Amino acid sequence: MRSDRRFNRLVVTAVTFGFALLIGVGIAGLATILQNQAKTRLVDHTYRVERAIGQYRVLSERLEAARRGLLLRNDTGLQNTFTQTAQQIEPALVQLQQLTIDNPHQQQNVAHAITLSRMHLATLNRSVGWLRQGHRDRAIASFNMDESLPLIRKIRTIADRMTAEEDRLLQIREADQRRTLAAFYITVALAAVLLVIVGVGSIWIIVGYTRDLTNSRDALHRLNSNLEGAVRERTIDLQRANEELQRFAYIVSHDLRAPLVNIMGFTAELESAASRLSAMFDRAEQEAPALVDQGARLAVREDLPEAIGFIRTSSQKMDRLINAILRLSREGRRPITPELLDMHALLQGLVDMHRHQLDERGIALSIASDVPDIVSDRLAIEQIVGNIVGNAIKYTAPDRQARIDISGRADGSRAIFEIADNGRGIDPRDHDRIFDLFRRSGQQDQPGEGIGLAHTRALAYRLGGTISVESELGRGATFRIDLPIVFGAEQGMTS
Amino acid sequence: MNTQHAVNIVMIEDDEGHARLIEKNIRRAGIFNDIRHFTDGTSALDYLYHAPEGPAHNGPALILLDLNLPDMSGTDILARIKEEANPLKRTPVVVLTTTDDKVEIQRCYELGCNVYITKPVNYQSFADAIRQLGLFLSVIQVPDIAEANG
Repeated sequence: MRSDRRFNRLVVTAVTFGFALLIGVGIAGLATILQNQAKTRLVDHTYRVERAIGQYRVLSERLEAARRGLLLRNDTGLQNTFTQTAQQIEPALVQLQQLTIDNPHQQQNVAHAITLSRMHLATLNRSVGWLRQGHRDRAIASFNMDESLPLIRKIRTIADRMTAEEDRLLQIREADQRRTLAAFYITVALAAVLLVIVGVGSIWIIVGYTRDLTNSRDALHRLNSNLEGAVRERTIDLQRANEELQRFAYIVSHDLRAPLVNIMGFTAELESAASRLSAMFDRAEQEAPALVDQGARLAVREDLPEAIGFIRTSSQKMDRLINAILRLSREGRRPITPELLDMHALLQGLVDMHRHQLDERGIALSIASDVPDIVSDRLAIEQIVGNIVGNAIKYTAPDRQARIDISGRADGSRAIFEIADNGRGIDPRDHDRIFDLFRRSGQQDQPGEGIGLAHTRALAYRLGGTISVESELGRGATFRIDLPIVFGAEQGMTS
Repeated sequence: MNTQHAVNIVMIEDDEGHARLIEKNIRRAGIFNDIRHFTDGTSALDYLYHAPEGPAHNGPALILLDLNLPDMSGTDILARIKEEANPLKRTPVVVLTTTDDKVEIQRCYELGCNVYITKPVNYQSFADAIRQLGLFLSVIQVPDIAEANG
């Protein structure tokens, strides 16, 4: 039991830990995704910077090309191209400057490029200015010796340098991105493995528990049905024993009656013979006193009547006992006719039958309102309860206000009725004895043969029930009758 | 045939004491008819059917029957006596037994017993009951011998 509990605690801990780990891995995965997004943004940024550099380079080249074109053929189309491109250079550089604001190295390059471009533009503007004024030769002369060619070379160099810088960054950032992606994949794989472990573990535990639960439920069920079977067997045993006893009682009492008829009959014969003898003795005493001796007088006057008297009272008592047994066995052979009994009404009726005695002795009696109704034999129940109530009325304690409380409750398929009194009580040593035939307990100051409770118990057995007593001498007694709520419902056989 | 043909009393009773008490009380009641006593069913039936002076051949009889016999049940004897086409069918049967079981009494009457007397332990009532038999005997119609034999 204890190791079981420890194992359970271990299992719960393991499952909790597994789920916590899973949550941790989930968070890690999320973090990796966020990181990966950041890296992707950086890569994207680098591409934009490279595009801006390319743009700048194209604009610079186009400007140079436009100027050369104008030197060869001065038309308005080319002039427009030159002017427009000249206007775009500065904003392109500003954009580049803003894009690389986080990189001081590139800032420096951009600043350098701005200076170069401005110088380049100034050179070109001067040359184009001459063209517009019609000094084509001057423009061509300046082209051959001015700064524009070295400048455009420098611009190319600086653009190359910037591109190289961005390429370097791109390489680093792409590597970073790949790393975070790999980390993400690892996390996902880890999560999957963990999920499988926790899942399989949980299922294994649940299956185990379910199997244990099913097993214990089955075991409980088996145990229960065994118990029911045991109860049924016991009830059948009791009923069989009871029936055997009834039959035995019937035969014995019946056969005992025959000799008893003889004893009583011949006692009567003896009595009449003795009375004749007595009459003759009287005459002899009067007419011939010499014949009469003391011994004969004693025999006729005392011994014979005394002997006959004892034989008579003893056989009368025996007759009463035999009749009691006979009544008991006859009652036991009476067929049980179960019907739905309104127990409260039945008990009330019984109490009303005892009303006179109750009032005479000043006994307070109560019946609980919630006694359960049962399906059983009316007469048998009336006799059982009537007997116990009768005893409670008979054996009150003289020193206190007597009271009797009748209550009942249903317990599963059984109904339990309790009849509690505050009478003189029964010595615990006699608790079994009082249910035996002809056995009584305590002071023998009340009439009775010791049959009532034996009869009560025999009836209770017949109804598939039991009866027991709880009592202490001087403390009152509680008789508990345990009966099936529905007679025959749990018995294998009924008589 | 005529009243000279006295009614024989056939007593089937296994208990000697009971038999003696019954006889005593019958005599005390002033009945002095012959009493034939049998302690078992077999010899009683043998007498009833086959004895030349028995009731089947010779005249009226009264049967006193105890139900508890060693060799057969008294009710069996009763049933045989009272069955259809039996020469003894009209012979009155008084069942005398210790049982006062209602079922058994009813069964005896159903089988055709004429009187059922419980042997009470109270001797006075027992004696009274036996004495009633005297009255009963005095009103028995002596059957015609031809009919009895037929």
